[in-house]
Amino acid sequence: MLIALLATLLTQQAVPQEAPQIMAALTHETVEIREDFAGTELILYGATRGLTIQDEIVVVLRGPDQDLRVMQKQRSFGIWVNAQAQEFDAVPAYYTIASSRPIEEIASQEALVRNGIGLAQLLDESASQTEMDLSDYFAAVERAGARNALYTAAPHGVEVLDGGLFRATLALPPRTPVGNYTAEVYLFREGRPIASRSTSMRVEKAGIERVVYEFAHGAPILYGLFCVALAMLAGYAAAALFGRR
Amino acid sequence: MQIYLPIAEISVNIFLLLGLGAGVGFLSGMFGVGGGFLMTPLLMFIGIPPAVAVSTEANQIVASSASGALAHWRRKTLDPKMGLLLLIGGSAGSIFGVQLFSFLRGLGQIDLIISLSYVSFLGIIGGLMLIESVRAIMRRRHPEQRREGGRTGHRKRGWIDALPFKMRFPRSGLYISVIPPIAIGFFVGTLAAIMGVGGGFVMVPAMIYILRMPTSVVVGTSLFQILFVTALTTFLQAAQNQTVDVVLAMLLTVGGVIGAQFGARAGRHVKGEELRALLAFMVLAVCLKLGWDLVITPADMFVVLPHGGEAAH
Repeated sequence: MLIALLATLLTQQAVPQEAPQIMAALTHETVEIREDFAGTELILYGATRGLTIQDEIVVVLRGPDQDLRVMQKQRSFGIWVNAQAQEFDAVPAYYTIASSRPIEEIASQEALVRNGIGLAQLLDESASQTEMDLSDYFAAVERAGARNALYTAAPHGVEVLDGGLFRATLALPPRTPVGNYTAEVYLFREGRPIASRSTSMRVEKAGIERVVYEFAHGAPILYGLFCVALAMLAGYAAAALFGRR
Repeated sequence: MQIYLPIAEISVNIFLLLGLGAGVGFLSGMFGVGGGFLMTPLLMFIGIPPAVAVSTEANQIVASSASGALAHWRRKTLDPKMGLLLLIGGSAGSIFGVQLFSFLRGLGQIDLIISLSYVSFLGIIGGLMLIESVRAIMRRRHPEQRREGGRTGHRKRGWIDALPFKMRFPRSGLYISVIPPIAIGFFVGTLAAIMGVGGGFVMVPAMIYILRMPTSVVVGTSLFQILFVTALTTFLQAAQNQTVDVVLAMLLTVGGVIGAQFGARAGRHVKGEELRALLAFMVLAVCLKLGWDLVITPADMFVVLPHGGEAAH
């Protein structure tokens, strides 16, 4: 499958010289979360046209959005209590940047912000209206995501191969959220993106995970009765197995 | 071997879960307690979201109390009339508790309330149990002081007897107002929903010291109430909050059932007072750990909570 993929990318490359272009494809269109899911690796293959030695490649994989509430802890009566809530709407639950060189060497902060690359920029847009300085809150969201490996940066995660081809390795951690993902690939030259392309994929539950999840959310009343019945049966079976002394 | 839990949405080692179930099952078999007060905090320590931990533990308690309640029913060592009253109160408490849980979760304060409830209840119960068992051990060592005037029946009638709506409870040999059992049931039902416990550690002392029920029917009646209240709590949490993870509950149950068998056997070789002192220390240890976490300066001064789109709303 990979060979076929590369072949199509290569034939596209054989077209006569034009403006720089970038193409990409993910090895999976859907990633399935099954009962043994403990994280996986996702490979993005791509090809560029007109790649020069100074050019760099940046890959951004962005997961489904979620609404967050961030609270600062405050001590009151000797115990730490959550206070000063700040809400963020539509923050990506997963966000990773892979690049062929450390991103700060590829482009300036302003250039990245202008192109909507980087989590800080997204957080700034998603924060609900306030006069407060939110930089501590942004940092808290980034820390929380980084703890579960949901927000990562791979400064050498993009490998440039011969003939304008490249390969990016993206890690999906055990806590990978379910939903739609988009991968944006950028070709940077002299600190500016000169070409970009996006592709998408889905992470979804499969097998038993899916059956249970859909049962619990699709028919919650029936599911509740099922859980209770199963537990009673288990208790009764245990009594029958061990109990008769 | 990792297993991905469909509702908790995290990947956990399957042997860790079976081991936790077996360990807590061993202790509950040994001490004759439900173990919810140990299991729920442990689940949260390993990273299960609090809402899922509490609801799923209620589901596990259904399994672990079902066999016990059945045995007591057969042996007629429970008071069905009293159990029914406790259950009426308990059902109302459970419904109230689940609503309160959703409300506090919406405010972002549910973790704090769970921790505070644990610290206060475990502290009080553990402390009382420790004092009581140490006294019992002392008494056994100095048998000349044994003639205590304790609970010998001729205690003066208290406020309980002044309450209206009296009812006869033939199995317990009591004639008391229906208000205290309903109130106790309500209180325990609320705890069950918020803390993910059966509530035996509150109900058993309350039945002995407040209702003055004979000890022979206390455990059976308490199990009867716990079975139905946790069943209702499981159902409500599943229907309203979608926080019951049946895979997690079943893994804990399998471990728990096996652990309880060995625990019950081990318990026969240890003396009652020492056993209770040991349990008291364990309860206090969990209490101190949770209390300590509330007062030490947190590693991260911020918490990030899911908001809005969550199942709870």
